[in-house]
Amino acid sequence: MFEEFKNLWRRFYNWTVGNGPRPENEVIPPEPPPDLPFTRRLELKRSRFQERPLASRYNEWLERKSLHVFSMLYLGMSILTCLLFMALLLSTVAELPSFGDANNPVNNEVIKRYIERGGQETGAQNIVAGMILDYRAFDTFGESAVLFTAAISVLMLLGAVRRADTEEISIDLNNASDGILRRGPPSLNLKITTGFTPRIHMFRKNDAILRGVAVLSIPAIILLGLTVIINGHLSPGGGFSGGAILSVALMLCANAYGFEQVHAFFDEHVFIRFSSLALMIYAVLKGWSFFSGANHIESGIPTGTIGEILSGGLILPLNICVGLIVAGTLYGFYALFSEGEI
Amino acid sequence: MLRIIIAALLMLAGLFVLGVATIGIFRFSTMLNRIHIAAKCDTLGALLVLSSLIVLSGMTIFSLKLLLVIIFLWLSNPVSSHLVARAEVKTNPDLNKICDFMRFDEQGNLIKLNIKTDDEVSAS
Amino acid sequence: MIIIEWILLIFLIVCAIAVSISRSLLNSVIIFMSYSLVMAVIWILLQSPDLAITEAAVGAGVTSTLFYLALKRIGRQHEAAKDKSDSKN
Repeated sequence: MFEEFKNLWRRFYNWTVGNGPRPENEVIPPEPPPDLPFTRRLELKRSRFQERPLASRYNEWLERKSLHVFSMLYLGMSILTCLLFMALLLSTVAELPSFGDANNPVNNEVIKRYIERGGQETGAQNIVAGMILDYRAFDTFGESAVLFTAAISVLMLLGAVRRADTEEISIDLNNASDGILRRGPPSLNLKITTGFTPRIHMFRKNDAILRGVAVLSIPAIILLGLTVIINGHLSPGGGFSGGAILSVALMLCANAYGFEQVHAFFDEHVFIRFSSLALMIYAVLKGWSFFSGANHIESGIPTGTIGEILSGGLILPLNICVGLIVAGTLYGFYALFSEGEI
Repeated sequence: MLRIIIAALLMLAGLFVLGVATIGIFRFSTMLNRIHIAAKCDTLGALLVLSSLIVLSGMTIFSLKLLLVIIFLWLSNPVSSHLVARAEVKTNPDLNKICDFMRFDEQGNLIKLNIKTDDEVSAS
Repeated sequence: MIIIEWILLIFLIVCAIAVSISRSLLNSVIIFMSYSLVMAVIWILLQSPDLAITEAAVGAGVTSTLFYLALKRIGRQHEAAKDKSDSKN
């Protein structure tokens, strides 16, 4: 019994070390060539066991392992955060009242008041516009301010990037300006090491078909955007969606005719001036409205008859302000991401 | 009654064309083939379906809006497909292995690039 | 009509899962665009056309354009870094 175990152990030991009897058809892998000369390896070994200050060992450890440790930590923390948020949100959902119940706290006197007297008080046919731009106008003000701040931050960030790699961008533009179909940029010598050939990203501006359609469609798109903005208190829509449609018209113009054409009337300074002006007008108008409303002063803002264009008190100018900010910001994002400047 | 029959015929034709487009997108292998079938069949199918709706609703403001939708689709769909195909031709350096294409030189003469003969096609 | 709503909702869930599962970032952006489009239709079915207009213009139009541009920028910088490392070797 004991001898058998001893034999088994010996065979196992031989197998792990590699000394045991081999089957005949086993393929022995060729010995990998030594990557370093022997003396160099010895040096490395010696240096590994030498006494070194703690700081250098720590630095070496950081160099070798820090990325791994960080990625593991990141993975763990992300999973933990996700689980935490899932538990939080699910527990909140469990406490919500059931959907469509008549006794829900949503169906309180505020919504009744909005529906019954919203048109009278705000002068807007579209109750949603009356709510977001009259009763709850400060929320929309915060939205516009957030958009403006985001555009300014992107301007700062990508402006720094543009200064760093101006060279590559100029090379791309040079290639795009001539009309010859190329396989690769001539001045940027691409070395192809593997079988995979990298795609060359460049875009052209002289596309006759796109220009022909842009001539037809840009006025229609601008008209649609203006309609959506100006009719914001009468029909669905408003400053935000209308501004997005206007920005799409600007993007199409920039794509078909080049950014220089848009740059002629809309650049960084125009964008910042218009957006700040719109935000300030918004803040002053709405501040006066809220101040007078809270102190029971007659604000002197006519509401007009419901259903006309010039009605709804402050909703029309506020819609125009929000539309200007949104159009400028979204086009600014587009121009910044594709060209590096507005 | 006649109006409903015409509308149903137009709608069936449109659905058939759209179905052909869907099958074609899955059957074809290369990008340009897919763009070809998607652009043509989507444009025609949308025209047929929307015109059947116009026939069904008669002379109202709603059918005017549908007409505008048709005009918009006929403007935008071919242009977007053209741009996608152009981007593919511009950025794919391996394209001349799977298809022949030609270009104009500076004087406006047509140059044929690497047109395969029949023997080469049968060999490959 | 309730059947259409169910179909759209199921499509919405499938899209939302596919966005996060998809390997290629470009595919994710395209699926996200279709998600926004279906969401706009659902807003119309829930009788809120304001949100539908905003979702179609911002979610399906502008946001995906910005995503494409961001992907293009990332790709360009990636290729430039690759070129630099190639020329060093």
